[in-house]
Amino acid sequence: MDAQLIPASLFDCPVVESRPVGAYRLISFVAREIAALARPGQFLMVRAAGQKLDPLLPRPLGVHEIDSDLVKVLIEPVGRGTISLAGMRVGDRLSVLGPLGNGFDMTGEGPAIVVGGGIGAAPLAFVARSLSARGRDVRCLLGFRSRGQAVVAELFRNLPVEVYTEDGSMGKKGLVSAPLSEMLCALDGTDSFSNNTSSAGDFPSEASSAETISGDSASSDDENSCAADTGMFPEIFACGPDPMLAAVDRICRDCGANAQVSVAAHMACGVGACQGCVIKTVDGYRRACSEGPVFPSTDIEW
Amino acid sequence: MNNNMEPPVTASLETSLGPMALEHPIINASGTFDALVADAVLAADLFEQFPFAAYVPKTVTLQPRAGNEPHRLYETAAGLLNSIGLANKGIENFIAEDLPRLAELPVPVIASVAGENTADYGRCCEMLDSRDEVTAVELNISCPNVELDGKALGCDPVRTEKATALARAATSKYLVVKLTPNVTDIVELAKAAEAGGADCISLINTVHGMALDPWTLKPALGHTTGGLSGPAVKPIALRAVYIVSRALDLPVIGMGGVTTAQDVLEFLAAGASAVAVGTASFRDPLLATRLAGELRDLMEIRGISSIAELVGSA
Repeated sequence: MDAQLIPASLFDCPVVESRPVGAYRLISFVAREIAALARPGQFLMVRAAGQKLDPLLPRPLGVHEIDSDLVKVLIEPVGRGTISLAGMRVGDRLSVLGPLGNGFDMTGEGPAIVVGGGIGAAPLAFVARSLSARGRDVRCLLGFRSRGQAVVAELFRNLPVEVYTEDGSMGKKGLVSAPLSEMLCALDGTDSFSNNTSSAGDFPSEASSAETISGDSASSDDENSCAADTGMFPEIFACGPDPMLAAVDRICRDCGANAQVSVAAHMACGVGACQGCVIKTVDGYRRACSEGPVFPSTDIEW
Repeated sequence: MNNNMEPPVTASLETSLGPMALEHPIINASGTFDALVADAVLAADLFEQFPFAAYVPKTVTLQPRAGNEPHRLYETAAGLLNSIGLANKGIENFIAEDLPRLAELPVPVIASVAGENTADYGRCCEMLDSRDEVTAVELNISCPNVELDGKALGCDPVRTEKATALARAATSKYLVVKLTPNVTDIVELAKAAEAGGADCISLINTVHGMALDPWTLKPALGHTTGGLSGPAVKPIALRAVYIVSRALDLPVIGMGGVTTAQDVLEFLAAGASAVAVGTASFRDPLLATRLAGELRDLMEIRGISSIAELVGSA
């Protein structure tokens, strides 16, 4: 989780693919060094290359996918910067600074649940694939407002994904917090994770996930823990709107599970210089760009 | 001019501010470029090959400050609103942790300090006076995001003069006073700083501003209002440099929206002896590595051979 292991560089990158994915836009660009270095959960500061001064600053975008020399990002056009980026087409050039931030700690073992909400699902595809490649059983819970956003789940091809929409227009109706809560807190000392989830046949049995709980959680003395010391809790990797992340934190606390959450903030420099992107944590303000964007969920003051 | 065979002009970028001989006139604006962060995070060698002719670290205060409530940033048309609120580790930690490393920079360090009252400026300068790593001190009397007792100290000529005089009494180092544009008559404030014993005036700090979240129609910044920087404020800054440099004999460090070598050229012509790059470093952290060379090119195209020839020529 040391952000400073990999120095970031500034690259001029040609766009080689730009296509709509529901309400979002998927942009692929050539960036060999970033493709080689970026870790799941790291982000890039991206803007249109050139002298145009409006929009002025790059925007932080999570790495959605690495494909050989290509880096893919997903853009939700909501403000002056992202609307401009969503207008980038094949042949346009991007100014890209990265890779930045700490990324997720991927060193754990055992099953993992990836929980994404809205555009926050984008970087989790990279996370889920990496977890899968490490031999960890991965299950993805993705929540969206409606079908327009939820089609992003298509980008999680070959990964076990359950889609939830608030209006029920795609997947199941409701928030991801309900199934997450069910998965975690239905567990107790005698039942394995896989036995308690309807569609997780590929999840390990209790025996094979006995080392899931890392040293960090050993300090948990939460009386509400359902199975904190049975060693079979999946680790949670989450990215999405704050209310969703807060719910993930609450559920995981109740059950004694560990969650890493990737937070979003307005950024200017992306490297830790400007102090602009701070979030409230138990240790005071911390910079999302350089001390995050991934934090243990229990570090954040929700 | 009629002779096409006239030999090309070779422009020298060398200039000086008081005791500081500068390789070129481009420095950084406090809080927008962190030499230690750049060294740690960016692959380019921005420490040994430091791109600025002097380094101004982020402003420090007597006590550490957590800074303002998020959101602290909001981008507007060709501009950036911020309300960082002088988040900093405090001057003692700055001296103990940062200064030894900053001493290794190949350029002079201009420490930036701010206070809750006029006395704080004196105390900060006292603490820095014995530090050889620091060549100059900039008094930030103009941060718009820390209204500790109503308004920025730099809005009041009496307190501006007093803070400068207390700092002057506490240190023999080259003393820069950084002014706010959020006043009726900036020349009056510049003269107050001069009367207090300033060696140099830097301007401008950010311009009071505000943005609303387009969806909620509530203030976009946690602190409600903030300071505007970036290309949007350049005309405001250029005017301030122009009128202050003409009204005073002190050298001026000009800043506000500087993004290109052409901007540097214009600030010099308006009357600045050195020019600081701020928000543009957020847009491109390597910008400063190119600016001096581009400035030289622009000067040579125009047949300008020295910075002195350019300063105040507008």
